[in-house]
Amino acid sequence: MADETTILLLLSDSNLPTGSFVASSGLESFLKHGFGFVPSLPALTTTLSNNPGTAIGGVNQSQSPPTPTPSGSSTSKAEAITTFIRDSLSTYAPSALPFVSDAHYVVSALRSSGGGKEAPSRTLELLKELDALYEAMTLNHVARRASKAQGVALLSLYSKGFSHPPGLGLHFSSPSASSWNANATASDGRIDNATNDADTHMSTLVDTFKLAVRCGDTDAHGHLPVCWGVLCAALGLSLARTQHLHLYLHARSLLSAAVRLNTIGPYAAQQILLHVGGALVNVQLGKCARLRTGVRIAEGSSGGTNEEEERGWDETTDGPATTWPLGEILAARHDLQHSRIFNS
Amino acid sequence: MTSATAGRGRICLALHGSDAIFSELSSTYPLKLLSPRNERAGFAVVYMITYGGGLVSGDSVSLSVDVGPRANLVLLSQGSTKVFKFRPGQRAASTDALQVTTQRMEFSVASGGALFLLPDPVTCFRAASYNQLQTFHLAPDASLVLLDWVTSGRKSRGEDWVFARYYSVNEVLVGGRRVAKDVMLLENEDGDASGLPVRTLASKLAPYACYATLLLYGPQVQGVISALTEEYGRISVFKTGGPAGLLWSLSAVEDGGAVVRVAGDESEGVRRWLGEALGGLEMVVGLEIFRRAFG
Repeated sequence: MADETTILLLLSDSNLPTGSFVASSGLESFLKHGFGFVPSLPALTTTLSNNPGTAIGGVNQSQSPPTPTPSGSSTSKAEAITTFIRDSLSTYAPSALPFVSDAHYVVSALRSSGGGKEAPSRTLELLKELDALYEAMTLNHVARRASKAQGVALLSLYSKGFSHPPGLGLHFSSPSASSWNANATASDGRIDNATNDADTHMSTLVDTFKLAVRCGDTDAHGHLPVCWGVLCAALGLSLARTQHLHLYLHARSLLSAAVRLNTIGPYAAQQILLHVGGALVNVQLGKCARLRTGVRIAEGSSGGTNEEEERGWDETTDGPATTWPLGEILAARHDLQHSRIFNS
Repeated sequence: MTSATAGRGRICLALHGSDAIFSELSSTYPLKLLSPRNERAGFAVVYMITYGGGLVSGDSVSLSVDVGPRANLVLLSQGSTKVFKFRPGQRAASTDALQVTTQRMEFSVASGGALFLLPDPVTCFRAASYNQLQTFHLAPDASLVLLDWVTSGRKSRGEDWVFARYYSVNEVLVGGRRVAKDVMLLENEDGDASGLPVRTLASKLAPYACYATLLLYGPQVQGVISALTEEYGRISVFKTGGPAGLLWSLSAVEDGGAVVRVAGDESEGVRRWLGEALGGLEMVVGLEIFRRAFG
């Protein structure tokens, strides 16, 4: 198995086919709705008084307020994007990280246990439970759609992109190499290396999970945070790295969207990522790394409120939540844009 | 010391012939349940009231509601639910200052029944901390209208999202299966380590002073849902120079339900919008009840 640095480099490659290229996580809609650039209070006041907006259509196009000073300076644009990233992270981290963490936990447990007879199916059940909960908690159809597309892409990435090429496997014929390929393992007959065993279990688990999603299993959706946890745990990446990289990539993908929306330039995007992005990610990690979904992922639990109390898990302080209702509304309104370049 | 209290309420409604009759309607201080007469067959209306006009730090209220087969319950409040950090007149000397105010409500709606939960918004005052946990167990052909909304505080005192914490969870299970779990946390935080200026809740939610979530589910609200869906589909957003005074979104949930979210620069505007958006409900609940809710 490759070392952690190599895995980090692989996973942070912006060319990975993960579908994040078509996601703006609400940024496009946010800007289109006139948020982000509020150059001065007078302009805002004009807007509001011109647009009582209580009519059931929401924004009435014929009454569009006059555009205030053409969308601000480059500094204010960079500020607007930074603020959006901050707010977006502040709601994405507490809603998604608990699912990343729990999925990582259950898959890591299977990986290190080597998998008994029961373990893989139990792991699959837990992943589906996490996935179904994320589906029920993601009540914005645009975000739900984007999350599924990217999650399933990650599962494919694991089985197609990170499995060992069959030809190379034979060529280098290291024991660990052959185990990447389930068929090769089967034909080998027996594996005496624990790591190989784990890799096989991981491939099987990911393939089974992906199949459940593809076949329309009512509980398996392939949501991004769950699949990210699965992928990273299957690759043996630590929980802390897994959490950090997930939020970092969320921030980077927003900046990439901002560049393609022509809001900021590529240099400004790098500046923001380097000087502010990392700090914003760390702030959210500090707050949300400890959050869990409440799904009973450990052995021997029977469930119920008393169970939660015993575990010391309090839904109101330790569970997932969204924190930015404005972001929810704007992201859900993505499809209403007359013209758009992103899928979310 | 604050006198933190635990109020309990219980409502059991069943249909006898065409009359919706309470087999139980009870509550303890500071919660009070009042049921005015109403003419609509199969319907009952209950007002949830808290003595003293609000809840204080440490208070907890729990309500358990059973709606029987084909019975219809409309739950309303009288004015907004006010959450104080301290009881009016009390000073900050209390040791309970950091305690949370909690409302926990469990609803179960049997086959063919309906629950219309249409309270006024929650208003959390400066530094207040509030948890609201609502769970809805619906039979597969039961119906639900769930309105949950929050305002930015007391405008008269210049309060603009300055409460400490607001946590609201609405979980809907249909036939035991979870179809929606909406969890919203609004929190004012101290500075963080990012080196950037503090991001206040007010700036994050600006320019809006009221946020509403509406969850619609079941056969009795299909008309309302399709009317709203059609209305929503007609919106076309062009680049605008600044935020509109009111924004709303609609997302479908499993099995024909819908989640509607609304943000408005004033809560009365949101109320008017809701009255219009839910206009189709007048056919379902009758004019008298509809006016009680949105009049």
